[in-house]
Amino acid sequence: MRRKTVFALVFLMIASLLIAACGGAQPQPTEKPAKPTEPQPTEEPKVEPTAVAEEGQAAKEVEAGELLPPIVAEPCAPDCPFEGQTVSVIVNTAGAKGPISGPFYEVRDEFEAATGATLEIVEVPFAEHFPKLMTDMTTETGQYDTSIAGAWWLGELVGGDFVMPYDEYYDDPSFPQWDIENVLPGPRDLLTWGGKKYMVANDQDGQVMYYRRDLLADPEHQAAFKDEYGYDLDVPQTWAQFRDVAEYFNGKDLNGDGKADSGLTLHLKVGGQGMFHFMSFSAPFVIGPENSKLYWFDPETMEPLLDSPGHVRALETLVDLTQFGPEAMMAWSLGESWDHFLRGEAALTFTWGDLGALAQQEGSQVLGKTGAAPIPGTTEYYNLQTGEWVKTEEPNMVGNTTGGSWAGVISKFSDAPEATYYLLALMATEEKSLIYAARGWDGVDPGRYSHFLEPQGTAGIDEYLAAGWDEADIRDYTSAYYENFNAEEQFPYLRIPGTFEYWTQLDIHLSEAATGQATPEEALKATVVDFEEVTNRLGREEQLQSYKESLGFE
Amino acid sequence: MAETTGPLQPTQDGTDAVPAAKGVGTRTDRTKAIFLGPAAIWVLAFTIFPLLYAGPRKMASFRYGKINQFVGLGNFARLFRDSNLHTALRVTLVFVVSTVALEMILGFALALLLNREIRGKNTLRAIMTLPLFATPVAMGYLGITMYYEQNGPINSLIRALGGDIVPWLSNPFWALVAVIIVDLWQWTPFVFLVSIAALQGLPLDLYEAAQVDGASGFDLFRYVTLPLMLPTLWLILLLRLVEAFKVFDVPISLTLGGPGRATEVYSLFTYRTALRFFNHGYAAAQGFLLLFIVMLMVSLLFGRIREIYE
Repeated sequence: MRRKTVFALVFLMIASLLIAACGGAQPQPTEKPAKPTEPQPTEEPKVEPTAVAEEGQAAKEVEAGELLPPIVAEPCAPDCPFEGQTVSVIVNTAGAKGPISGPFYEVRDEFEAATGATLEIVEVPFAEHFPKLMTDMTTETGQYDTSIAGAWWLGELVGGDFVMPYDEYYDDPSFPQWDIENVLPGPRDLLTWGGKKYMVANDQDGQVMYYRRDLLADPEHQAAFKDEYGYDLDVPQTWAQFRDVAEYFNGKDLNGDGKADSGLTLHLKVGGQGMFHFMSFSAPFVIGPENSKLYWFDPETMEPLLDSPGHVRALETLVDLTQFGPEAMMAWSLGESWDHFLRGEAALTFTWGDLGALAQQEGSQVLGKTGAAPIPGTTEYYNLQTGEWVKTEEPNMVGNTTGGSWAGVISKFSDAPEATYYLLALMATEEKSLIYAARGWDGVDPGRYSHFLEPQGTAGIDEYLAAGWDEADIRDYTSAYYENFNAEEQFPYLRIPGTFEYWTQLDIHLSEAATGQATPEEALKATVVDFEEVTNRLGREEQLQSYKESLGFE
Repeated sequence: MAETTGPLQPTQDGTDAVPAAKGVGTRTDRTKAIFLGPAAIWVLAFTIFPLLYAGPRKMASFRYGKINQFVGLGNFARLFRDSNLHTALRVTLVFVVSTVALEMILGFALALLLNREIRGKNTLRAIMTLPLFATPVAMGYLGITMYYEQNGPINSLIRALGGDIVPWLSNPFWALVAVIIVDLWQWTPFVFLVSIAALQGLPLDLYEAAQVDGASGFDLFRYVTLPLMLPTLWLILLLRLVEAFKVFDVPISLTLGGPGRATEVYSLFTYRTALRFFNHGYAAAQGFLLLFIVMLMVSLLFGRIREIYE
């Protein structure tokens, strides 16, 4: 009997260990991780850019911290301008070598030597960042001098008079110099409000399409695809083509492991930022040459427009597409969806710039195989102004800046606003920004002319190759982002008070549609009801005013 | 603090009375204050103050995290027409009924099982109670790993046994089941622990007398164990009901309320209203509604218990 008991206990322990071991291999998504967290390698000495790699040459895998930005600020001793001051920055938790927060640890010594001030970095989980910041500001505490904020917070921060414009400092030559005109038009618009500068350029978010270049170039797939669909297999330019390519590759082995893989991957978990997918996806169903601004609300009445035929068709199309991805993606956040693509288990996706950079890093199965292109368009869009569908001869492509575009704002309650701006401007200098954009791990996505390769921009390819990029991948990547941010039509980014609440309601109802709890039309009508509730509570007139200001109507 | 002890003694003019043994009375007062003070402070700080503080807030609307305007009973009126809140209430009720019922049955059954002389019972009892000491949020995050649909441990096991994978977190029905299972995992040990403690305190002579009278094993359970355990079971039921209504940690860490609103329980809904949307007025009204529901439930249960035992 005793032996049986011992055996049972040993069996339980082994089973527990096995379960834990199996579980340990799975990705661990977190609530709304704005940027993926990378492993924490040790800091290495700076590596000088290497010679240009040949086309197709395997790129060097680079560890976080290996490529360091140059020192651009001179030490100030003995006459330091901000001696004794402390600058406190609140940023999403990701660690000293993590996205967005990492560069602050890197720059700390340089900043403190150049100003005499002390830099205090406060990391908080993404989900707590905005509430903590708002609590600090509504109570006028001034605990945080700057927040590396999401662009959609600006409506609340400016509307509540919680942050200060930095125009005066920007023109002052005693601060580190950076050029706001160097930022492409799409993300540049997010830095200002009412003609004043509030956010100091850092990260530039936007979604592009990623595809497996090797699969699309495979002659066997090309022939089979043409037989099945009657046209050449190529990079999708419309969502209809995207659907065909996803359908064709779905169920095929895409990474040689003998298992069926997916046509596409998305992340659609409630709270997993799936609503951003819908924004980028639906834009060309609604926005077009004859309607470049109307998407969210009627600018006369503040009535929501999200149940328009264009939006409904977009959601129907998106829901239809989900059949070509794993069912599990309904419960995926960013991490799991990106992981699926990086394992070579999906042919297509559309998401942020981080994926392109992560594809270059150790463990990626798609290094040198990751093509990127602007988000596909449509051949027909619903003009909200006329209430009619408009056909287009060329694909109707709409650029987007969906995402956080995490950038610094200066608290109005800061007792060290100048030192704070110095810090943010230092990190925005062209020399540093190029390295930030070239590396994958720091979460800073490209969006300036100086980030893009010639002839679109002014960057050379050396920094990217030194950061471990495959040459074909980086050329596709920067080209996709350049076209995205320079697109004639841009998705109108919402950044009015209550944006997070509007988006949360949209996110929840999208999930209901995607999981069959509601039809796309029902889901969008329910979203409209919730939007109205938010608008009424926050004040229709005030919201309308803010909406017009955010779109530049006034 | 005017209360004193001891007989009143007449003054010289015979008009007033002063407490006798004043020194003794003061010492008694001080003793009372020392003993009652912490409790009074606790109640004032954590019950009365929040209720008073929430008073004006639940009748206000907020903008930019600050009170915007007085809306009277508007926030309470919204409670009756907010379909999202009604969904959260429905989800919560399903959760409460499922978890509490299953936990009561499982926990009590396990306690009965391990309340007998079997080898290794102390080890098994210790193992049984382990989940109780885990952090609920950690269990929620562990659940993400366990329920991972593509090759998580649970689905791998199901597949190995020849079954189809279960869409644990991507299907509205299964997502709620997943949350319920994690709660069962955590709280069944609580029912077990309290039940087994009570079982061990039952008087043995009653069992011996019943056995002498020829009672079967089922008769012993039906006519001795169950009636004696009922007060304890009522207490456990009450505690679990109150806790289950406030469930928050597991849904927020495991499903974030999704897919859609399939696992959005009441506390999660209120949390979002207050700390995500900064609509503190409406959140306060929701808090009062939950307080009312729980108090009503507790009153009904106490009433029932009183009926039984008085």
